[in-house]
Order: sequence, then structure tokens, then C-alpha cells
Amino acid sequence: MRLSASTLRPALAGAVLLAACSDAALAYTATLTAAAPQMIYLQVGNGTFTGGNYTPIQGNGQPTGTPGNNATINKVSTNLTLAAVGNGTPQAMTTDSTATQSFWDGYTYCSVPAQLYIGGFYRTAGGNTAAAQVTATVPAALIDTTGDTLPFSKISWTSSGNGDFGGEPFPAGTFVSGGVQTVGSMASNTWNESCWTFSYLNNTVPKSGVYSGTVVYTMSTP
Amino acid sequence: MSAARCRFAFFLPLALTIIWAAAAQAKSITIDDSASQALEPSVSMHWQTAAPSRSGRGNLMVGTTTIRVRINVMPWLRHAGRIYLSLPAQQPGPITLSWVTQGRFLPGQVQSGNRVLVYAGPITTPFMEDTLTFQFTLDGSVMRRAVPVSYHFEMDGER
Repeated sequence: MRLSASTLRPALAGAVLLAACSDAALAYTATLTAAAPQMIYLQVGNGTFTGGNYTPIQGNGQPTGTPGNNATINKVSTNLTLAAVGNGTPQAMTTDSTATQSFWDGYTYCSVPAQLYIGGFYRTAGGNTAAAQVTATVPAALIDTTGDTLPFSKISWTSSGNGDFGGEPFPAGTFVSGGVQTVGSMASNTWNESCWTFSYLNNTVPKSGVYSGTVVYTMSTP
Repeated sequence: MSAARCRFAFFLPLALTIIWAAAAQAKSITIDDSASQALEPSVSMHWQTAAPSRSGRGNLMVGTTTIRVRINVMPWLRHAGRIYLSLPAQQPGPITLSWVTQGRFLPGQVQSGNRVLVYAGPITTPFMEDTLTFQFTLDGSVMRRAVPVSYHFEMDGER
């Protein structure tokens, strides 16, 4: 068959169009869906990682250790001698927590019994950069067995960590006497940790006794 | 004009002609893969590492899927060909695709916006088949919603 110039042009145009349509159809399209895109981990005092620390990352891309639950409620306390009670000199408090090493890499980050470890992470997909908040729910007062009280606001803490630099994710503070207060935040997709050193203000003379109270720490994601 | 300059003038047009001819032959054509079969409808993406780093970097998500690849290479039958896996640049951002094969094609890895050779040699059958397990890797911060990712096989060869 012999094509004239006028019949050849539409034929070529048709071929080009066909090729374009064909290319569009001939491709795999995989739909990627984030599974379990959010994860949180908060550790105050003792924590649990099974299988070791988080790092080093293994050859298959998985961490060595896995975060777990730890139901331990650690104590922070101080004993005052009669002569020291109410003398205005803050009294250092110590903890029964044994958490010294960061589960991130095993680095000795906190010193016990002087410091209480607090750390964790907030995993989220989708570029949500808002930070997760960590709050403390604080009773109005510490109470002894006979009902005498000491305001929780008598207890403060400083924040640091071995080899640290820059700001602390869980900064220094003082408890409120009853209420919920923010004690730190965790930027998304970042490991956060601090070591708290507590002290009792010791500027009043309460009745002798053992005063205690429980603070509950809660992590809330955006 | 000296003899040397005369030779240069002769060889230059010749060389240009050869290069032009080679470029004209190396056309890339998307291969018909409509007979291929994905074993999973979608790819579940998981954090490459469950906990993040201290620096906040390295927040990659990974997911795998297996595809029984069956591509129609009939148009190139009894010719030599070079088959590439092409991952065009696309939203939502940089993607890495790696794969392992059962041996018919080469295993490899490609970044979006590039292509990688998976076969070079004679085309002896109308269809070429292999089972490929693909792994997608991308930054979790771009995974706001389900992300469609397109890739294809293409042939450089004579028809």
C-alpha cells in the first residue's frame, strides 16, 4: 500500500497517542500504607528492654532490644536529722531506682542513687512534628500515718545527664501542690532522656513522721 | 592545511555519525507487564527501627511485597535486549526500591528518578518470568496517607 502525505500524518499521530497510553498503563502501582505508625515509650526510673539495648541495629535493620513494660514504682526519699529539720538548707533526695544506663545504647547516663532516669520516645509517621507531652499528676500533699501533711511544692528537681549538652527534654522544676503539671516534652521521632536530682526544700518544721505521696507520670501524644 | 589537520577533519564527522547511530538505536520502551501478579494488595510500611535515634534522623519506613513478574518481550524475540527496572521520580518524595529475585532477573536497588539493569542478553522466549520480592524504603515523615508508587520494566533493544 502506498500512503499519501495526508494519510500518513494521522497514522503517525495515532501511533504516538497509542504509545503514550500504553506507557501509562504498563506500570506497577504499589500502595504503601503505614502500619502501626505511632509508638510511644516512657520510662521513669526503672524500665525494661528485652534482648539488650536498642542499639546496635542488627544487620536486618531491627534493633537489638525491644521496649517492654515495667510495673516498678520507684521511690525518691530523704531522711532528715532532728537538727536539720526546717533549717532552710535543701536536702538532697535519693532514689531506689537502679536505672543508670540509657536503653538507647547502654551509655551510663544517670548516677544512682542521686538521679532518677526519665526518657522515652514518640514515633509518628506523616510529618506531625508536634511534641508529645509528659505530665505529672501530683497530690496536694505528702501525708504521714496520722494525717499530717507536707505540700508537694516543697520538692524540686534539677535536670542533667552525663555528657549532656543543650537543653533538657525534661527540665528542672518544682511540684505543684495538687494538680497536673507538664514536666517535659518529646519531639516526635527522637529519643529523649534526662536525669532528675530531687531535693526537699526544708524550710518548715513539720511534725515528725514518714510523709509519702505518689506522683503519676503520663505521656500524651498529639 | 597540514596532513594531521586533514585527518582530524575526516575523523570528526565519522565519529559523530557513529554516536548518533548508537543513540538512535537505544530507545527505551515500557514492557507489557499486564500478566504479572501481585501477591499482596498493598504494602504495609513499618518503622525500620522501632525506636528513633537521639538526633531525630533516620526515620525510615520499610515494607515488602512479592510480585510474580511476567513481562511480554515478544517484540524483541530473537534479538538482544537490555531490560531495566525504572522507578520514576514521584510524590511524596525520595523512595528506594530494592529487590531480590529467583534468578531470571538480577537483584538490585534503585532510587526514585533512576533505573537499574535487571537483564542483558538474548531474548529467547516471548515472556520472561520471575518472582521478585520488593522492599520499599522512604521517610516516615512523608507517609501522611496511603502512598501509590509506580515503577515499570523497560527495554533498550532492537525490535
